[in-house]
Amino acid sequence: MNRLKHNWLICRAVAEVTYKEWSAYRTHSLVSVIVGPVYFMVQYFIWTAVYGGQTTLGGLDLQQMIRYFGATALIGYLIMDFADWNLSMLVRTGKFLTFHLRPVHHRSFALFQKLGHRMLGFLFEFLPCLLIFIYIFGIDMRPASLPWTLVSVLLAFLMNFYVNYTIGLTSFWLVQSGGIRSAFLLVSGIFSGALIPLDFFPHWLQVTQLFLPFQYIAYMPAMVFTGHYSLGGLELSLPEAVGMQAAAVLVMFGCNEWVRRRAMKQFTAVGA
Amino acid sequence: MKKYVDVYKQCMYSAIQTASAYRMNFIVSSLITLIGNILFPLVTLLIYRAGTSFPGWSLYEVLLIQSIFTMSSGLSSLVFGGLLWTTMSHVREGSFEVILLKPLNPLFYIVATTFSVESVGLFLGGAALFIFSAMHIGAISALAWLQFTGMFLAGTAVLAGLSLMMAAMSFKWVGNSRISELADSVLHVGKYPLPIFPKAVQAAATLIIPVGMVGYLPASALLGRVQAGDFIAILPCFVFLWAGIWVYRHMIRLYEGVGG
Repeated sequence: MNRLKHNWLICRAVAEVTYKEWSAYRTHSLVSVIVGPVYFMVQYFIWTAVYGGQTTLGGLDLQQMIRYFGATALIGYLIMDFADWNLSMLVRTGKFLTFHLRPVHHRSFALFQKLGHRMLGFLFEFLPCLLIFIYIFGIDMRPASLPWTLVSVLLAFLMNFYVNYTIGLTSFWLVQSGGIRSAFLLVSGIFSGALIPLDFFPHWLQVTQLFLPFQYIAYMPAMVFTGHYSLGGLELSLPEAVGMQAAAVLVMFGCNEWVRRRAMKQFTAVGA
Repeated sequence: MKKYVDVYKQCMYSAIQTASAYRMNFIVSSLITLIGNILFPLVTLLIYRAGTSFPGWSLYEVLLIQSIFTMSSGLSSLVFGGLLWTTMSHVREGSFEVILLKPLNPLFYIVATTFSVESVGLFLGGAALFIFSAMHIGAISALAWLQFTGMFLAGTAVLAGLSLMMAAMSFKWVGNSRISELADSVLHVGKYPLPIFPKAVQAAATLIIPVGMVGYLPASALLGRVQAGDFIAILPCFVFLWAGIWVYRHMIRLYEGVGG
């Protein structure tokens, strides 16, 4: 019990410090208040034009499609992460050593940092954009099921973190993992469903996505938000979809732990 | 004038030499940029594959808009690509004085020294897509090519103006690495046929921040769809570039040499 309390105190302290640290740069977050609605507006007009007289496309009607893009934008603010960049920088400069000596696991530290950082994102990105979407664009942003959406977003938060942290771990071999990071961002941007719902992809590519982490980061939580999940011919109820997402997060955590243990053997504590 | 040409040539040579020193990084970066460009029109392809379309526009016509947009971005990025990050870095570290002390126009110096060789991949990716889509839209008259050239240059001027304005913003909004996202979001409008947007957005994208000139209007020229009135939109493009230069030079005067 004491250990649990101790861990909770560490988590809270790291999250609070990160929140305060980034509060100094809160106007950075406020960029999203302009950028997010502009991107959303473009998507709105693109899809309004594309639907024309059609009632459904890719299994979604126009309202669901608009809600989908609203949800992906807002979920993006809650789960945004750059643990890969941070870890890569620590390894490259040799500063990772200081974390190696601390009585807290670096992965946990990074996760708590993300928590603090996203709390700021919640206040300065998520909430203003949510209000803009509701009151300016008139979009119904009520989730089909609030509890399942919250669990799904939480799992997407973890999935995004573990995937990024794994990418960051490649720095222990490559020192500079910028290339892998860019390649991953490129692939993730397309296959996470942030650009276009995955229902539009060819069937074989949809099936492939079931075994890759990308769809669990944006597509699945957004579909849980709309209340209907199907991919590659697989149609799931919300509890089933969230259950599958939880299993995927566990698998990703296992992969991350496997890579981390090997990465630690590579660590030389020398900066480049 | 000769001095400036010589300096620029020397800076280009240095940029190429630097890229050669880190060959693998250069190859990987160019490759990722190239692949990114191949994947950029994916949304359009998937929309058309689903049996729907942008009303009045065939797949190849939309790809033509997007390829011209990419080529224009590549060209602008080649010359002005590093302007924002270098300015931001100098302002944050308080080292802009070093540039002010050079016996050259500071704006010219910073543009010349940030010649971005990696953007060649962006331009080539766009050019490949342009050739592919142009081959599918039928014969293009010599007059259409002429109109296209003028509008393409005007579109590139818009992008240059945007880069300058974003870089100028970094003098006051110190160290904000998200400034470029502001420009990217506005530019998103220019990647699609303008008629899908409401009249107010069309007017803003033609006369205020003329992003319509980056892809849509040059493509319309090749397709023979431009109206006489569309040529008026060339003027705000160069005004926009001039405004970018003016704002940047004005912000230099407001620069306070304090690092942070």
